Amino acid sequence: MFELLTRNEVYAIHMAAMEVLERTGILIQHEEALRILKDAGATIDQKKKVAHIPEYLVKEAVRKTPSRHLFRAINPKFNILIGDGNSYFTNAFGAQCTYDFSTGQRRASTLKDLEDFTLLSDYFPAVDYIKPNIIPQEVPQDTLQQTMALSMFKNSEKHLSFLALTLEGFKDVIEMAKLYAGGEEEFLRHPSIIDTGLNNVPPLKYTANIIDIALECAKYKIPFDISTGALASASGPITLAGMVVQGVAENHAVLVLTELVGPGTPMLWGSCATIMDQRHGTAAYGSPENGLIHAAFCQVAHYYGIPYYGAAGIIDSKVPDAQAAYENTMNVLNATLAGVDVVHDAVYGIVETGITASYEMFAISNEICEAVKRIARGMKVSKETLAVDLIDKVGHDSNYLTSDEGLEFTRKHLLEEYWIPSLTDRTSRPDWEAKGSKDMLQRAREKVKKILDTHKVAPLGKDVEEKMRNIIKQRAKKRP
Amino acid sequence: MSSVILDEMREAVIQGNKDKATNAAKKALEAKISPMDAITNGLAKGVREIGDKFGEGEVFLVELMAAAKAMKAGMSVLLPEIKASKTKVKSAGKLVIATVQGDIHSIGKDIVATMMEAHGFEVANLGEDVPVDVILKNVQDQRPDILGLSSLITSSMPVQRKVIEELKAAGLRDKVKVIIGGAPTTDKWAKDIGADGWAGDAVTAVALAVRLLSSKPV
Repeated sequence: MFELLTRNEVYAIHMAAMEVLERTGILIQHEEALRILKDAGATIDQKKKVAHIPEYLVKEAVRKTPSRHLFRAINPKFNILIGDGNSYFTNAFGAQCTYDFSTGQRRASTLKDLEDFTLLSDYFPAVDYIKPNIIPQEVPQDTLQQTMALSMFKNSEKHLSFLALTLEGFKDVIEMAKLYAGGEEEFLRHPSIIDTGLNNVPPLKYTANIIDIALECAKYKIPFDISTGALASASGPITLAGMVVQGVAENHAVLVLTELVGPGTPMLWGSCATIMDQRHGTAAYGSPENGLIHAAFCQVAHYYGIPYYGAAGIIDSKVPDAQAAYENTMNVLNATLAGVDVVHDAVYGIVETGITASYEMFAISNEICEAVKRIARGMKVSKETLAVDLIDKVGHDSNYLTSDEGLEFTRKHLLEEYWIPSLTDRTSRPDWEAKGSKDMLQRAREKVKKILDTHKVAPLGKDVEEKMRNIIKQRAKKRP
Repeated sequence: MSSVILDEMREAVIQGNKDKATNAAKKALEAKISPMDAITNGLAKGVREIGDKFGEGEVFLVELMAAAKAMKAGMSVLLPEIKASKTKVKSAGKLVIATVQGDIHSIGKDIVATMMEAHGFEVANLGEDVPVDVILKNVQDQRPDILGLSSLITSSMPVQRKVIEELKAAGLRDKVKVIIGGAPTTDKWAKDIGADGWAGDAVTAVALAVRLLSSKPV
């Protein structure tokens, strides 16, 4: 709905990113990847492990990257077509602390929190697919990815995106996904039953294990999102345009590599970048600058004809308060209006810049995101909706609430035209007071409690869960 | 006038001007000002002022970093004279800091290093992806008061634990305070691995270091 940059400005960013790729290059700590790039035509500085990638490789890779691809869910009604013009939202990623729902105390996150947040993600309508909301702190490192995966497989019917930290852990998760999909053959046919996400080390670097995972995805054609995590004035230039240039170059290195190894691998390409606050040295995600980066970066992705993935909606406030609400709203709205294909971290149940999960904030953010989705649906203009005949019928003496024609028209179009809020108070004052004069935070608490008490998800097949647990057990046995 | 030169050094650091700092330091040497005096009342004074202003939110991080660089530039001019006069330059403490092996993230650690310098600490920044034995060797050789270990990815966190274990095995553990940091780390993790403290940001890291050393028996 809104375009930040002109076509020339978008092209200027493309050209600048090509210069970065060719002139400065990307450091890739992975011998096989460097060899693949070299064979394809890149110039490799073997000593520095830097790949200088020519523009034509980017153009070829972009041609092989799907402009739209299906994310499958175990319940097909939750399938979503990435790149179809809609902005799809994910929940938040990665809280290591949680505000305890009963006591309000800030404590280490647990596996139970991950189960609860995944269940809530399954319930909340604004969440289109699910990311790992919580990093459980009590789970041992070597079985973390697998244990998290099982918890998510069990608590949702929507499409799931998993945490990939090591090749070994990711391979276990793939084996679990094969069971989930109904067998190896089924998984190989439709690998987009799962996806994952990868980051680089800005500026301009990739570590070995990230490339290992990318290559594994390319092998199976498992979709993944690649996004820069740079902070302006720290790991990227302070200028927002420069941030986009650096991120574009960084992302393309992985795009080129992936499409060389697995042509047609679906990719989500984008940014988790933001500014570093120069007063405190902290990352500022709830900033207007974050939204601007997404808006521009998204135009560049669409210039290439590939879907854009952006982390917009992250909250810096340490509590679910007015700051949290404005930060989430501002950036989710900005990203959606800019046409971002996947707004990651949109339905954001975490505060304190990705650190502390908040059950209440999740409910509040879902409400915000539902409102944004209504905006994205826009306004239908047709002969019917222009309502000229009805306006004439109702005329000067009647109205739309009491006339037969008015009532019929309203009943016909109500649910199409209006969003029905569930957490937003629009009652009259006496009504609000009679119900206890509750503010949004209190209403959010009640809603979360109700969902956790009543929402159910179709269980995994008995033997599926058992076999998944066995994979985790086998991995744990290999512990020294 | 020595006070004029000292003031020039202080100003140069406040302005983040490396050239001005080196010129003023050279003048200080020519005027036979003692390196202690030059640092305490010139360079370090400027950095402390900027550091205080940063703490009050009046100055940006970029200005603090520039001030630290200017101070370093001035110090490098004074270094030969410091060595020659065998002066022991009084500092707030000595820090050795590194991002552990397997991890190439640097910025957070570098901000901590700069802020520690701004607070008068002597800092040896070993860089990134530093092998455990290199860290051990630096602890042995440099005898720092504090060892800072940074880990930005969960897969490198176990190396923080390993360093502490190796320090114990080498009989060095009680000779140095170990503090850890980095996005996936937590206070609980620090306690689990037997570190002396954890900090989630640079400002807290400096306060932690100062606190640990003030309770250190002389």
